[in-house]
Amino acid sequence: MLPAAGELAAGDSWGMLACLCAVLWHLPAVPALNRTGDPGPGPSIQKTYDLTRYLEHQLRSLAGTYLNYLGPPFNEPDFNPPRLGAETLPRATVNLDVWRSLNDKLRLTQNYEAYSHLLCYLRGLNRQAATAELRRSLAHFCTSLQGLLGSIAGVMAALGYPLPQPLPGTEPTWAPGPAHSDFLQKMDDFWLLKELQTWLWRSAKDFNRLKKKMQPPAAAVTLHLEAHGF
Amino acid sequence: MLTLKIWIVQALFIFFTTESVGELLDPCGYIKPESPIVQLGSNFTAVCVLKEKCMDYFHVNANYIFWKTNHVTIPKEQYTIINKTASSVTFTDISLLNIQLTCNIRTFGQIDQNVYGIRIISGLPPEKPTNLSCIVNEGKKMMCQWDPGRETYLETNFTLKSEWATEKFADCKTKRDTPTSCTVDYSPVYFVNIEVWVEAENALGKVTSDHINFDPVDKVKPSPPHNLSVSNSEELSSILKLTWINSSIQGFIGLKYNIQYRTRDASTWSQIPPEDTASTRYSFTVQDLKPFTEYVFRIRCMKEDGKGFWSDWSEEASGITYEDRPSKAPSFWYKIEPSHTHGYRSVQLIWKTLPPFEANGKILDYEVTLTRWKSRLQNYTVNDTKWTVNITNDRYIATLTARNLVGKSNAAVLTIPAYDFQATRPVTDLKAFPKDNMLWVEWTAPNESVNKYILEWCVLSDKAPCIQDWQQEDGTVHRTYLRGNLAESKCYLITVTPVYADGPGSTESIKAYLKQAPPSKGPTVRTKKVGKNEAVLEWDQLPVDVQNGFIRNYTIFYRTIIGNETAVNVDSSHTEYTLSSLTSDTLYMVRMAAYTDEGGKDGPEFTFTTPKFAQGEIEAIVVPVCLAFLLTTLLGVLFCFNKRDLIKKHIWPNVPDPSKSHIAQWSPHTPPRHNFNSKDQMYSDGNFTDVSVVEIEAANDKKPFPEDLKSLDLFKKEKISTEGHSSGIGGSSCMSSSRPSISSSDENESAQNTSGTVQYSTVVHSGYRHQVPSVQVFSRSESTQPLLDSEERPEDLQLVDNIDSSVGNLPRQQYFKQNCSQHETSPDISHFERSKQVSSVNEEDFVRLKQQISDISQPYGSGQMKMFQEISVADAFGPRTEGQVERFETVGMEAAIDEGMPKSYLPQTVRRGGYMPQ
Repeated sequence: MLPAAGELAAGDSWGMLACLCAVLWHLPAVPALNRTGDPGPGPSIQKTYDLTRYLEHQLRSLAGTYLNYLGPPFNEPDFNPPRLGAETLPRATVNLDVWRSLNDKLRLTQNYEAYSHLLCYLRGLNRQAATAELRRSLAHFCTSLQGLLGSIAGVMAALGYPLPQPLPGTEPTWAPGPAHSDFLQKMDDFWLLKELQTWLWRSAKDFNRLKKKMQPPAAAVTLHLEAHGF
Repeated sequence: MLTLKIWIVQALFIFFTTESVGELLDPCGYIKPESPIVQLGSNFTAVCVLKEKCMDYFHVNANYIFWKTNHVTIPKEQYTIINKTASSVTFTDISLLNIQLTCNIRTFGQIDQNVYGIRIISGLPPEKPTNLSCIVNEGKKMMCQWDPGRETYLETNFTLKSEWATEKFADCKTKRDTPTSCTVDYSPVYFVNIEVWVEAENALGKVTSDHINFDPVDKVKPSPPHNLSVSNSEELSSILKLTWINSSIQGFIGLKYNIQYRTRDASTWSQIPPEDTASTRYSFTVQDLKPFTEYVFRIRCMKEDGKGFWSDWSEEASGITYEDRPSKAPSFWYKIEPSHTHGYRSVQLIWKTLPPFEANGKILDYEVTLTRWKSRLQNYTVNDTKWTVNITNDRYIATLTARNLVGKSNAAVLTIPAYDFQATRPVTDLKAFPKDNMLWVEWTAPNESVNKYILEWCVLSDKAPCIQDWQQEDGTVHRTYLRGNLAESKCYLITVTPVYADGPGSTESIKAYLKQAPPSKGPTVRTKKVGKNEAVLEWDQLPVDVQNGFIRNYTIFYRTIIGNETAVNVDSSHTEYTLSSLTSDTLYMVRMAAYTDEGGKDGPEFTFTTPKFAQGEIEAIVVPVCLAFLLTTLLGVLFCFNKRDLIKKHIWPNVPDPSKSHIAQWSPHTPPRHNFNSKDQMYSDGNFTDVSVVEIEAANDKKPFPEDLKSLDLFKKEKISTEGHSSGIGGSSCMSSSRPSISSSDENESAQNTSGTVQYSTVVHSGYRHQVPSVQVFSRSESTQPLLDSEERPEDLQLVDNIDSSVGNLPRQQYFKQNCSQHETSPDISHFERSKQVSSVNEEDFVRLKQQISDISQPYGSGQMKMFQEISVADAFGPRTEGQVERFETVGMEAAIDEGMPKSYLPQTVRRGGYMPQ
């Protein structure tokens, strides 16, 4: 990789050479290239993308089971209640232009934060689940979601972004409060699953976008990373 | 020796007692370490410390300590006295896994006492587990396995540890029965790398394997695709479409596939190129398949990028490709059978059903066309595989096509040559040989181009007819095997016919066996000829049914009862063999074996005895002896013949035979009896045939007029008869001497006629032994003395003398002879007649009498009586008619002729007449 970059530089202008020298100078600073043999963030982005699809696939069967567990009207296909109560849930829906204008860091950070919250809520859901089978499915989904979080963290680390600090007091907010009626509780559950699904769709798009950005040739990736470094 | 034993017994007793109470009692000392686990091959030191109390009690110190392992005392060299109370023992390179070590003291110089005991367990620390690998069966939990390394001899625990970068998972502890694998109790999360390693731990150490980091999705073994189904296409007979349902893992990973297929009866699978199925799909169309063939398919999948494991094979599914037109014309041949219709031949066209891979479907029927030279084509549809048709003696061209649902095959063309076609150009160098359990046929092609070859074969057997099977080969083939159900040890007659454009060539045949076997029966040997020193054996060729192979040679075994068996090999073409150098007059046992390439079989034993003498030997002795005897006899006879006079003189002197006397010669001229049955004959011949002629040559010579005399004689005789004066000298044998007899008178007359020589006649009068003699025996007396009777009765003699004796009176004589015979059978008649004769005085009376006689005698014998009567009647009329006289004259002439005949006559009349007394 490095000799290739050298040759490219040699055949170009002095400015380019200087630039490359700067790249070489900063190379140790690029976190993705720190570890020897590290393939870079590309594979982990791809993996994260695959993971979102895998989670989406998992959630499809899990949601079906759980909504059945909640019973009608939640398991009816055309049940589309207004979003009430679950205000604390992170919203996946966003204006397309806004979404397009998001930079990678923000995009990843939003994902990370959203899933952190969702996972937190989901664990609460797990505790309420009645049947062992459902609990097992929820537990596995939680584990997978935790894997996604780790995966996003890995990508962020690979790209050199710091992980967002968990907001103090966020986790306890999702506690079965006595104020909630049973229906509203179910409504929250419903919205949780729905929001999860939306977030997984969005994440798939996010990582697909990231993936496409990371796909170009190695030198370009290097330069791109270098540019980030600056 | 005895003291030693006692000592050991005592020591053991103390040992056991102290050990049993050791728990209860305060031990005399202790060993450090208490329960050591030692690595094999390492050194180990144990220290035994005595308590002061004991030392005082037993008056011992550390010097009295001795060590035992597994009841065997350890040599002193391994001991070390540390101080007054402690002694240590050191083991180097421990090799036993389990050692019982005891510390003992010898009290009072002779009693051994056990102080303390420990158990040393040895083993090895665990080795680093290697080859750690994990697999995720879809829908199940992850399972990892590894190589545990060497045996530790100690209880070793393996723990599978796994973690994410951010989180640790629960340890997976191996079960006792599966120490080399472990299944985690959580579902793996795909697309998140996990780090896995194994820890092995036992009393001697703890070791960790290399960490492996992987994405569980790269270790996944998907569930196989299910609901595989196969469908065909009517448009294309060479394709089948497969459809299936993928496992659910396909929802988030890509899959690639292996598709395999085979025909239903095949055993090996063909695989569709993997690059054609390298991505997730739900169906696949398999091409280049054979029409109307059942194929079996199976499929498996794995992660698209090749990471992970192939799934198991799916369940098999099968489908049949659609039909196509038959790809080849059927094998086509014909047989000509004689037809009853003149000018026609019966031709049986035969063909083979196409094999499925050529039929490409279900054959519905066959279309046969027949074209006579320059004649219209005729079409026939046949369902069978043979078709018989009567055709003329001309050349024909037959074609055959097979038809299925889709279409027709190409036409097989066959030229049936004209009746007088002469087949030529056969194949050459025809060979047949078994190979790989098949019967191969090989030949050299003729120079001309051959359209095809027809191979026909059948089993040669004496029991069953040769039922032919056949097959067709292309014109380019010159080696093939017989495609039929061939049996072993059967003789196959294989015929190869080349078929040219203008008709079949001449055939070549060969016999072959698929596999030879020893004959099932041996040849039956028998002797054709047995000589003194040799025997010609013969046998029949074995029937083809029992040969089981080509008879290569025969072996003849022969032996005497006591002697060794001798074997002679005989070529298979022979059916005869001569055993020579045999011993004469000996019992031989001979049997025969026939050999094929695969072995032989004995026939039944045959026993024969050589004769004592050779053939002709006896004859050679007997014949000369007989000849010599014969010669001797002949010489004797010749000698006797030569000297017969001499011998005769000595043995039987010559006695004169009265019958050969020359007193008279009889001329009986007895007619055959049947002559009497005819009246005409009676009149024509009878009179003179019955004449007995007494000839006196001298008298005849003197007779001046024989004819006159005859007539006179006849007349006289009649008179004599009527007058009853006749009286013979000797008389008839049947007449009493006293009774006058005409014949006697005749004789007398004869005698008188021979007056010149004066002969005597002696008549044997009486019968032998009171029987009436059958013949009248006349003996000629050689005496010249005049007869006494003549002297006594001169008138008679005179009368006779006066009457010129002639043959004319012979009928009368015959009469009496006949009468004589009658007398024998019916004496009453004789008597009656006699009285009548005496009384009768004239001819009329006589005639009457005769009639009477005939009337009376009728019941007695019509034949004779009739004859008698006729004669009598003739006689009765005789004197009156001229004709009668003339007839007598004729008789006389006849008599004269008779004179030329032999002179010696016996009275044959009587004999011939059959009136001999019985």
